[in-house]
Amino acid sequence: MSDIPLRNPGWAGNTGDFDLTEAEVRGDDFVGERPKHGGHPSGAGTLPYMLAEKRPEAPLFEGEYRERLDKILTRYPTRQAALLPALALAQEIRGHVSPESMDRVAELLGLSPAYVRGVTTFYTMYNKRPVGRHLVQVCTNISCNLAGADEVVDAFLRYTDTELGEMSEDGNFTVIEAECLAACGFPTCVQINSRYYENVTPAEVPKICEHLKARGQ
Amino acid sequence: MSEPITLTIDGREVSVPRGTTILEAAKTIGVVVPHYCYHPGMSSPAMCRLCLVEVEGAPKPMPGCVTTVAEGQVVRTQSDDALNHRKGVLEFYLVNHPLDCAICDRSGECDLQDYVHAEGRGHGRGREPKRVFGRDDFGGDVLFYGDRCVMCTRCVRFMSEVEQDHRLTVVERGSRSVIDTFYEEGLEGTYWHGNIVDICPVGALVSKDFLHKARAWDLTHTPSICTSCSQGCNIELHTRDNLVQRIKPRENLDVNGWWICDYGRHNYEWMNHQERLEAPIARRGGGSKAVGWKDALSALLDKAGSLGGASVKAVASPFSPNEDLGALRALVDGLGGGDIVFRSARAEDEVPLKGFPALARRSDLAPNTSGAELFGMRRVGNDDATGGLESVASHDGILVVLGDRLADQPEDFGAGAALYVYLGMHDSAAAAHADYVLPVTTHAEGEGTFTNHEGRVQRFWPALQAPGMARPAWLVVGALVAERSGGAVSRAASEAFASLGPSAPAFGGITYDDIGARGAVINESVSLTGD
Amino acid sequence: MAYPYVSDHEVRIISEHFGDPKQRRLETYVERGGYQALRKAFDMGPEAVVEAVKASGLRGRGGAGFPTGVKWSFMPKNSGKPHYLICNADESEPGTFKDRELMRWDPHQLIEGCLIGAWAIGSRHAYIYCRGEFFETNQVLARAVEDAYIKGYVGKDILGSGNDIDVTVHQGAGAYICGEETGLMNSLEGKRGLPRVKPPFPAAVGAFGMPSTINNVETLAVVPHIVAHGGEWYRQYGTEKSPGTKLFCVSGHVNKPGNYELPLGFPLMKLIDEVCGGMRRGNALKAVIPGGSSVPIIDAEESARCRLDYEGCVEVGTMLGCASVIVMDETADVVRQVRRMVDFYAHESCGQCTPCREGSAWTAQILRRIEDGRGTEEDLDTLMQMTQQMVGTTICVLSDSVAAPVQSSIQKFRDDYLALIRRGERVGAA
Repeated sequence: MSDIPLRNPGWAGNTGDFDLTEAEVRGDDFVGERPKHGGHPSGAGTLPYMLAEKRPEAPLFEGEYRERLDKILTRYPTRQAALLPALALAQEIRGHVSPESMDRVAELLGLSPAYVRGVTTFYTMYNKRPVGRHLVQVCTNISCNLAGADEVVDAFLRYTDTELGEMSEDGNFTVIEAECLAACGFPTCVQINSRYYENVTPAEVPKICEHLKARGQ
Repeated sequence: MSEPITLTIDGREVSVPRGTTILEAAKTIGVVVPHYCYHPGMSSPAMCRLCLVEVEGAPKPMPGCVTTVAEGQVVRTQSDDALNHRKGVLEFYLVNHPLDCAICDRSGECDLQDYVHAEGRGHGRGREPKRVFGRDDFGGDVLFYGDRCVMCTRCVRFMSEVEQDHRLTVVERGSRSVIDTFYEEGLEGTYWHGNIVDICPVGALVSKDFLHKARAWDLTHTPSICTSCSQGCNIELHTRDNLVQRIKPRENLDVNGWWICDYGRHNYEWMNHQERLEAPIARRGGGSKAVGWKDALSALLDKAGSLGGASVKAVASPFSPNEDLGALRALVDGLGGGDIVFRSARAEDEVPLKGFPALARRSDLAPNTSGAELFGMRRVGNDDATGGLESVASHDGILVVLGDRLADQPEDFGAGAALYVYLGMHDSAAAAHADYVLPVTTHAEGEGTFTNHEGRVQRFWPALQAPGMARPAWLVVGALVAERSGGAVSRAASEAFASLGPSAPAFGGITYDDIGARGAVINESVSLTGD
Repeated sequence: MAYPYVSDHEVRIISEHFGDPKQRRLETYVERGGYQALRKAFDMGPEAVVEAVKASGLRGRGGAGFPTGVKWSFMPKNSGKPHYLICNADESEPGTFKDRELMRWDPHQLIEGCLIGAWAIGSRHAYIYCRGEFFETNQVLARAVEDAYIKGYVGKDILGSGNDIDVTVHQGAGAYICGEETGLMNSLEGKRGLPRVKPPFPAAVGAFGMPSTINNVETLAVVPHIVAHGGEWYRQYGTEKSPGTKLFCVSGHVNKPGNYELPLGFPLMKLIDEVCGGMRRGNALKAVIPGGSSVPIIDAEESARCRLDYEGCVEVGTMLGCASVIVMDETADVVRQVRRMVDFYAHESCGQCTPCREGSAWTAQILRRIEDGRGTEEDLDTLMQMTQQMVGTTICVLSDSVAAPVQSSIQKFRDDYLALIRRGERVGAA
């Protein structure tokens, strides 16, 4: 039996310490977010592409971003296979995948723009239109549903003052329902941008919203 | 060549090559399994799930379009099992399909109507509101009614695999999926997109040109050959009220596969042109006077006879069938021989269909240039089919014009000719000095053949009734030839064709039976019946 | 050990180090005996490795339960084409959360499993297709792979053996259907993640048209242990037809939800009562879904008889699937949960096959109407018969997964539906 103390893994769980970083909550030697640029090509396709900072006018695929794309291209036998990571990179830069981004990616990879549109719209995680700085994705599938996920959604909608899927007035939040996030033992699971918040109940929702607004993460 | 496989389909034995699918094997014995996404000219994704058949020993129903035959396989396409599975799948197709039949162009030639009528449920169980996509203009000639779409993706695969310009895609997934283009890019600039309307099994993709024009069951289908270039695509003319309403391709794997280009597809209005010559006219010297055929032809023959020894020049058209051109050559030869020229338009380049290499819109924009050349006729003039007739215009002997409208020629064309005969569909300012203006038929109004760019002779059949007293040129000219030479008159196109030998050795001894309904390349062995 | 709770009933083969962040470090992993199995595999040779896995009886842990050694032996010998080993880390089945834990606590175990698997099937490139939502996991894996490259455990001339094997971590973009092996391959190739018709099978035509094998994370995580201890060793746990241990993901109305590694054949009620601390608040058990949302629901009586292995679950009319045990007590609203599951399938359907595309959406519509109190008893007959039209008529089994919860819940909890239909009353709170 391991001597690691039992600690509720939820960010917003019993600890209630919202100033803790994820590394502090999850334990020592947590590898955390790797630096965005640089790094071995084998992981160049793993990206932190849900960032709070959105730059819709930033140039696509220049400088270090171009280097990342080039590294990704070396890992597959076809250019087409880099399509998903390339779209994710475009979203990391600009916050969502616009028709213009699709066109540019198509050009870079030698595909037709219509084809890229077909692939982009197939996958849920590519935002087809701009979203708030914090994309709140609440899992409402069965395991979380049994723990009251619908009330968590309602709480988020109330405290961010939004409709489901719409951006809040201050541009800070968009709240949507997500499909199973694979944290079923820690219901209700909420993913906000890249980060998982586990064991969330309606009581913690206001604190989470304030914490996000304050820390700008 | 590997051993053929023998299997049983619906109790009948059939032998086919290894690798044949059950669907294709069934076709060979006339068993048609309903299907949407399968098309012999494209890949088989097996996604419509309509071609499910029962295969003995298999745990689930098998899709006939991708399941290959196996020795001793027992297939049942009409068993209760197979019918129930297909009935279930058809129900799912109807759940969101709008009840548009009354306003849908496809009604009467719709695979969904036909299959549901044959194998579907009698009553609907759906009580939920249907999903709505609305109408989308894809650009070019295509309108898309998203609600009617059955998501077979034939259109997407045609653009990406056959035209190889991937303009269409499926957007979203699940029940929200729909066909679309890249926003406003649409289908502009593509050359073969009209084909997606043909292959759409329902009325989701419709032609703007044909929108709400005519009901499918009112149309008469006549096999014909496209006259917009020298490829010789096999087509059908669909007519109603003696007007061509639209053109559809006809399958011919040696020429055009299952496809035609957008240019040829929409180039049919000229066949419906109303201002036609309807009676023979005696013109020069006596004002313009309509006369009967007998009078016109006998007066003509007298005049020609009296001129004996005058040199002959003729203008032909590459839009005339072999039978007409052969008769003209015989006439000119009979008058002592002479130069026959023709004009035809040329495009700068060809437009190939990348996914079907034998097919291209040729730069030669006429259907029978090869035929004209076989009869010893010579092309003159510019690539826009103007000019080249300076020596003909001022000819002082016998001048015959067949089929060329002379639109660019001056009024005094042929003014100095001893005898000027103009045979055409439309009157012309350049026929002002013609002795006789004789009305002839278009190819759409008669039977005949064209010779395409590779020397393939293909038959077409009459789709329209000729106006007034217009007659096929081979009949008119053939009668003149027969009167002068004392030979037999051809009374049918087949006789005219069989008698082309003297005018062009390539046609010697060939009959319609030899070339068959699919046409044949005539510089190969004649015993090849190209069916 | 399980995470976050431990149980004495566990047999900790692959979950030994859950909860210990040091395990992510390459140095720690090697200190604790890591990558020894890889060396042994290189010495044994590919055929012997396949034989060892065959002998162990390990069955695919992603839900299909197909014998792994047999799957590996389908790969062609001397095809002359590049082979690909693909790790299916696109864990999206509702109720399942074992692969995420495996990857974020013990990434090197998975990497070693991928390397051995690649070696066994003659592949020089292993792709780990990890779902897009797993940002933390992707970063952990990427860092672990990077460390392994630097120290010579992955890449050229691994550990001086002369063998070259590359590993690439590929992040998905949010689609459950990409967890289906042929949908995964299409997604890896940069296409819409649509499942392919089989035949041809991946071992003949797989990723990029080349022979490929796809294995689940848990399956590959076991491989180093089998190679280290031998195939027969694995058979000491579990049953004859379902040997070994399994990570059971328990969620729902139990006191201690989480992952538990237990020998296959473990009785379901023992799992709930002894391992998971019993039903929360002592409530009565109403229903269990033992294998993730795609398998039929079983009621309390069937649960009492249910043994958690592939055959045992079939005996009570359900399937083990990926062993995600969702427990519902008397306060559960079965109709609502079934509706939510069908909503999930309707949302995730790829849309290729008409029965699934139209049928999943239609089923969801009918269930919503019933939940709103506007259903009829005829709707229940329609649902039973119409969902049966979705079984066996499509390219992949997502369509069948819609039928499972609908048909089993109407058969076993008909009264819950009737309460809504006849009186507009919901049975259960959530």
